[in-house]
Amino acid sequence: MTYAIDRIRNFCIVAHVDHGKSTLADRMLQLTELVDPRKMRDQYLDKMDIERERGITIKAQAARLPYLPLGEAGGEYLLNLIDTPGHVDFSYEVSRALNACEGAVLLVDAAQGMEAQTIANLYLAVEADLEIIPVLNKIDLPAARPDEVAREIASIIGGEPEDVLRISAKTGEGVREVLDAIVDRVPPPKGDLDGPPRALIFDSIYDPYRGTLVYFRVVDGSFRPGDKIHLMATGFEGEIDDLGVHSPEETPIDALGVGEVGVLSAAIKDVAQAKVGDTITLAGKGWEAVPRLPGYREPLPMVFSGVYPIDSDDFPQLREALDKLRLNDASFSFEPETSAALGFGFRCGFLGLLHLEIVIERLDREFDIPLITTAPSVRYRVVMERDDPETGEPRVLSVSNPQDLPEPNQIRAIEEPTVLAMILTPSEYVGKVMQLCEGRRGTMIAMDYPTEERVELRYLLPLASIITDFFDTLKSISRGYASLDYEIGDYVAADLVRVDLLLNGEPVDAFSAIVHRDDAYAFGRSMVETLKELIPRQMFDVPVQAAIGAKIIARETIKAKRKDVLAKCYGGDVSRKRKLLEKQKEGKKKMKSVGSVEVPQEAFVSALRSGSAKSDS
Amino acid sequence: MSPLPARAPRAWLTEPVESGPSAGFGVYLHVPFCHHRCGYCDFATAAVGDRGADDQQALFVRYVTALTTDLGHQVAAGRRAHAAAADRDALDPRWPEVTSVFVGGGTPTLLGGPLLADVVRAVGRELDVAPGAEVTVECNPETASVELFAALVDAGVTRVSMGAQSFAPHVLATLERGHTPQRPVEAIAQAREAGIAELNLDLIYGTPGETAADWRRTLETVLAAGTDHVSAYALTIHDNTAFGRAVAAGRLPTVDEDVQRDRFEVAREVLGAGGFEHYEVSNWSLGPARRSRHNLLYWRHGDYLGVGVGAHAHLTGRRWWTTRSTDRYLAAVEDGASPIAGSEELTDTERAEERLLLGLRLRDGLHPNDVPRIEPLALADAMAVGLVETACGRLRCTETGWFLLDDAVTRLLP
Repeated sequence: MTYAIDRIRNFCIVAHVDHGKSTLADRMLQLTELVDPRKMRDQYLDKMDIERERGITIKAQAARLPYLPLGEAGGEYLLNLIDTPGHVDFSYEVSRALNACEGAVLLVDAAQGMEAQTIANLYLAVEADLEIIPVLNKIDLPAARPDEVAREIASIIGGEPEDVLRISAKTGEGVREVLDAIVDRVPPPKGDLDGPPRALIFDSIYDPYRGTLVYFRVVDGSFRPGDKIHLMATGFEGEIDDLGVHSPEETPIDALGVGEVGVLSAAIKDVAQAKVGDTITLAGKGWEAVPRLPGYREPLPMVFSGVYPIDSDDFPQLREALDKLRLNDASFSFEPETSAALGFGFRCGFLGLLHLEIVIERLDREFDIPLITTAPSVRYRVVMERDDPETGEPRVLSVSNPQDLPEPNQIRAIEEPTVLAMILTPSEYVGKVMQLCEGRRGTMIAMDYPTEERVELRYLLPLASIITDFFDTLKSISRGYASLDYEIGDYVAADLVRVDLLLNGEPVDAFSAIVHRDDAYAFGRSMVETLKELIPRQMFDVPVQAAIGAKIIARETIKAKRKDVLAKCYGGDVSRKRKLLEKQKEGKKKMKSVGSVEVPQEAFVSALRSGSAKSDS
Repeated sequence: MSPLPARAPRAWLTEPVESGPSAGFGVYLHVPFCHHRCGYCDFATAAVGDRGADDQQALFVRYVTALTTDLGHQVAAGRRAHAAAADRDALDPRWPEVTSVFVGGGTPTLLGGPLLADVVRAVGRELDVAPGAEVTVECNPETASVELFAALVDAGVTRVSMGAQSFAPHVLATLERGHTPQRPVEAIAQAREAGIAELNLDLIYGTPGETAADWRRTLETVLAAGTDHVSAYALTIHDNTAFGRAVAAGRLPTVDEDVQRDRFEVAREVLGAGGFEHYEVSNWSLGPARRSRHNLLYWRHGDYLGVGVGAHAHLTGRRWWTTRSTDRYLAAVEDGASPIAGSEELTDTERAEERLLLGLRLRDGLHPNDVPRIEPLALADAMAVGLVETACGRLRCTETGWFLLDDAVTRLLP
């Protein structure tokens, strides 16, 4: 069934994690009777296991909801729900999904109130010129404070607190009113019905049987199965094999016109060929003349980490696994690197820390390869003393692995990426939050009070200082109430140094870190103390040192072990003794020999985590 | 680099000079009964302190009967039945003469002189005991008496190993030992008076609460007691014991490796000055003739039968052991069934591991012909870090490597 353009409404739901977005989507699907109750499972649209477990959406999804408002004589409306990712790491994906809509439901937990992430996404939605429909969820909870939160919403988006809809997605109360509001207030799509076809890719996912599935919104013209398409950013050309819509299971369709949302497959082998934000048009003569849709951006990894197999024999399997993941996730990058301590591995780039965690978790879960990941780092710009002889300009290196940082005397300046962070906190925690930000080399830009009880802080922070445990610390000092969002800022010069860790006089590359000179001593001290705890006693005294260049800034000594012998054989029970020894031997195999020191694998992970955490205080 | 002359690859197993079957043949008999189970003990024991005297005696008689029956069955099955399948046909079916007998526990002396004598005599009835064989009985000082020792001498016992553990009263209390500090010294004198030829005192060091002075006094008391052998073991706390649970709950401090090493060095110094030769990690004797031959048999990877509850046996690459439950043991033997709870046949690699981990406990190390094949690089590594050395072709631990023996062995193993 095709719909007239004025009967189509494209909308998304802007909400914070846990505020009930997936439940509301489930309820809308049920209300429009699209989902067989027997097949209904919680969070229907979240497809990945990790998403369902963590209650977050990583990939955007779409569902087509035919809806007949009560008392409506003019026939059905077609509501397209475009589900957006729910995390700051994926804000570019969010912005593309928002661009595929004309309206947004702003869903706020009536007990929790607005969160930084919601506000950030709300601003994106306003920027994309969407009609905002404010909705309070969970009004049935005893802790709900709907009047207060409604005032808060009204003060941020404008309008009256009485206009905020009040629902319980859990019980279904008020959900129909939300759908009616979408029909009444969200404008229908606009587009050129007969112009050269154009569509916006807002997501692409990899399917092992069909290749890449491209989720898109038609802007002009229409698309049919068999059309030969051209993707303007990557240059991919191919024929549409399948054209479909999600209602919410995928259903084939013979055409999609202006304003409609659907999915296509076209034998695209790699998701990197169908990038979020790219423009789809028809191949053949004339595509050069079709203007691209604005706002396309190459995905840019911001956080980097070395990923090494614990068992070096797993290296080929790790490469294969990363290749497979990359098929599915174009925003993640990797290249081989070598560490003297950890052997062969890969330097991987991620959109953010959550993205890193998700990829590592998927490697573990789907490929079962035990890994060591080194401490996350960012990409520095290093301006060299010597100019480039050809251009006469200063040479600039891009460094994401501390090992690649040149000697200090060759460096003119180091610049680091920054973020503009927005933190919303109940006012009672504002002192602690400010202290945290100052401790992380933050510069305050603004402080506002959207309501009396809440403070909105804006800080310029080095990206490096928020990628380890900033969010966890923020949550713990505010009893979980403060929330964080950030956007990537400029590169800024900073007084940075590399701190090396030496075991028995030998530098261990995997432990090196680039830190601010003011933090170097605290970082070095905490690292040597942690390593002293984690590395077992060896045959000889092992000095553990932290150094900046040739200068030692901290030292501890792991004393030589003095006893390593099992007690007697009880009544000739040699089997037990042999097995204990074999276990010891197995344990030793899990150690990395660094120089002449045996370092357990846990030391690499735990030392790096605690190192960053301790340097905080 | 290798200390080994060129020989057939398995010669260390098939033609050893002093290891394996060349080390002799022993019989171990286990008596599980104790008055009370001590907090550190993870042996196969059965506390009988809350039973009445008659009840205890009836249980002891049953047990000794079962023990002798078990021994009879194991011997009657024949040597080949116990051997590893691969070695079975090549093996001489006749049992060799017994060079050592060891009655351990538990507290064997709880049985009393006559029953204990029956246990010892059973070996002579079933097997050919060599003239001059070492026959040891473990003795708890509380149960010792001249009459007991006389009965043992009469049955052929040549050696008594006395569990003194410590001569510091608070250390004995921590270890839950009921005897007074003087009692082991008196018991040693009684054993000597009864005609026991060789005497050992068993000690534990590194117990929480033990001071350096406590340990030094304990060693000096041992020297004064006039034994010819001393065993001193670093306290090991196993998770599955009362001590293990107390450590986990924070009620007992864990043992400290530095303290244990310090105690070890003091023992070497004091006992060495007293004329004792430190011949095995935990054992000292007044000259080579007074070494414990039964323990040497274990360290030299020898063959032995194991009879009684939770006893372990070894015959050329096959090990087997009996149930750790006294009830199940009695039920099985009285039923004519086997009390054996498990067995394993060792691969050559495992036998090589054992040869090293046992043989390197001895100060003399391994005879050149008895050393299994070691990767030259592994040997070079263990020598370079100072854990092992070669002396006249023998492979042995260095003075420092001795107390780090497990590290040495894991480096040498494939």
